[in-house]
Amino acid sequence: MEILSVKNVKKHFGGVKAVDGCSIRIETGTVMGLIGPNGAGKTTLFNLISGFEKGSGEITFKGMRTDKLPPFKIARCGMVRTFQIPRALSKMTVLENLLLAPKTQHGERIWNVWLRRKSVQMQENTIKEKSREILEFFEISHLEDEYAGALSGGQKKLLEMARAIAIDPSLMMLDEPFAGVNPTLARKITGYIDELREGGMTFFIIEHDIPAITKISDKITVMSEGKVLTEGTPDEIRSNPDVLNVYLGGEG
Amino acid sequence: MMGLTGSAGCFDAILPYIVTILLISSIYAIFALGLNLEWGFTGLLNFGHVAFFAIGAYTTVLLNLWGCPLVLSIIAGVALAGFFGFLLGIPTLRLRVDYLAIVTIGFSEVLRFILLNEEWLTRGPFGVYGFERPFQDVIPYQHYNTFLLILYVAILVAIYASLERLMHSPWGRVLKSIREDESVPSALGKNVFWYKIQSLMLGSAIAGLAGVLLAFYLQYVSPATFKPIETFHAWIIIILGGTASNRGTIVGALILWTFFSGTKFISRLVPLESHQMGAFRMIVIGLLLMLLMMYKPEGIFGKKEELALSD
Repeated sequence: MEILSVKNVKKHFGGVKAVDGCSIRIETGTVMGLIGPNGAGKTTLFNLISGFEKGSGEITFKGMRTDKLPPFKIARCGMVRTFQIPRALSKMTVLENLLLAPKTQHGERIWNVWLRRKSVQMQENTIKEKSREILEFFEISHLEDEYAGALSGGQKKLLEMARAIAIDPSLMMLDEPFAGVNPTLARKITGYIDELREGGMTFFIIEHDIPAITKISDKITVMSEGKVLTEGTPDEIRSNPDVLNVYLGGEG
Repeated sequence: MMGLTGSAGCFDAILPYIVTILLISSIYAIFALGLNLEWGFTGLLNFGHVAFFAIGAYTTVLLNLWGCPLVLSIIAGVALAGFFGFLLGIPTLRLRVDYLAIVTIGFSEVLRFILLNEEWLTRGPFGVYGFERPFQDVIPYQHYNTFLLILYVAILVAIYASLERLMHSPWGRVLKSIREDESVPSALGKNVFWYKIQSLMLGSAIAGLAGVLLAFYLQYVSPATFKPIETFHAWIIIILGGTASNRGTIVGALILWTFFSGTKFISRLVPLESHQMGAFRMIVIGLLLMLLMMYKPEGIFGKKEELALSD
């Protein structure tokens, strides 16, 4: 069953055709990798799908057209994305960063702060527990009360991912999740992605680490110069001469 | 130099002064708490805060003069201030931070000119007086300011407690995330625009309430009471006390007004004419702000890690 469908999506910045007619389909419960040289338009495509940029074309998520919706509404449909350079909320603690994520918190409506005090408190306790579990998995429990601004680059990346998981999405779009993460933890993250995928979560992952992405993906899309160059299983992609060309610099 | 002889009489002379300082400090503390919610907790650069001070004051006193019962007038004043916060927010909150600052200051000045020129409505530069004050028939005149002080401090405490509760709630958490980087709460499904509007509305309503309290204390409101300098008094207070610290805001208000009133006594030490004294006060405040920004930008009670302007 299809969870995401991108049809002929375009985004031009003046003369620069960042995304120039891309079409992709992702099946529920699979991991789709997205690779391509720098400047191919991968992050712009992520921005278009998650609503942070608007372009032309059709984007359908879980059967609903989302290309005209604002990012927060798309997120509420069950899609979450991480940012290439982690956007940890540095003036809040690590735990607070995670507590921000879960959907439908009663306490986020101003009147409930007074009218439904008990329910809000109970919900807070539940999501605190869940958040602590996630922190434990990523081995950053000891950082719970640190301001996120004090974290190292790699730790911020983990926080970014932890926060995305805390929202309990249907589709998780990860922008270079393995960059700057040590190999041991990278292996653990791969295991977690596998586990979540078994549970029905779908992943769309931009990565430059080719061995990592070919190991974890069911299918891979290759982008170049704003267009989809080709698409296939990791084996097909690995042996595709066009792909090698595009990564190694083309003619000569 | 007041001698030790007649110290009891001396206390009687000082007491009204202290009551006055505490009264004005309370009013400005409430006023600044509204701004602290908008800037310190949500990151909204509002330079038109005085507009809501004025709307609260004028709405209440005018309604009351036209026959409306006092309690309803007060509620209307506060509600209208909040509503104008909403009206201002709708077009402006999508603007970039610096444009928001310019537009809001324009808004407060436009309002002041309306208050000045629409004499048929607001009595223009002559101002408004003769309106009721709470319990004015019950409290004897010589104790009225003391009564106001107790009332205002109680209101201040109530607002402080409410804001503290709000900022430690999930709602407050969303505001804090907006303050720093609105793409994050957006990507997590929060309606950032609506939260900003709520913050602006609530901050404006609180400013409106402060305006009502000011009107009752002064017994007179005029456009001159609501110049942009009042907005900057609020800014000084929250920066001095530590942005995003409600406790600091209250202390900042007290320090500022003690300083303003206290310079009367300085005139014995510093030989300045009264018009020079006003300028001297602003020079000292300017110096103080500069030193603060250089050595302790987080203010007295602020936390370095939560400084909205640091990058």
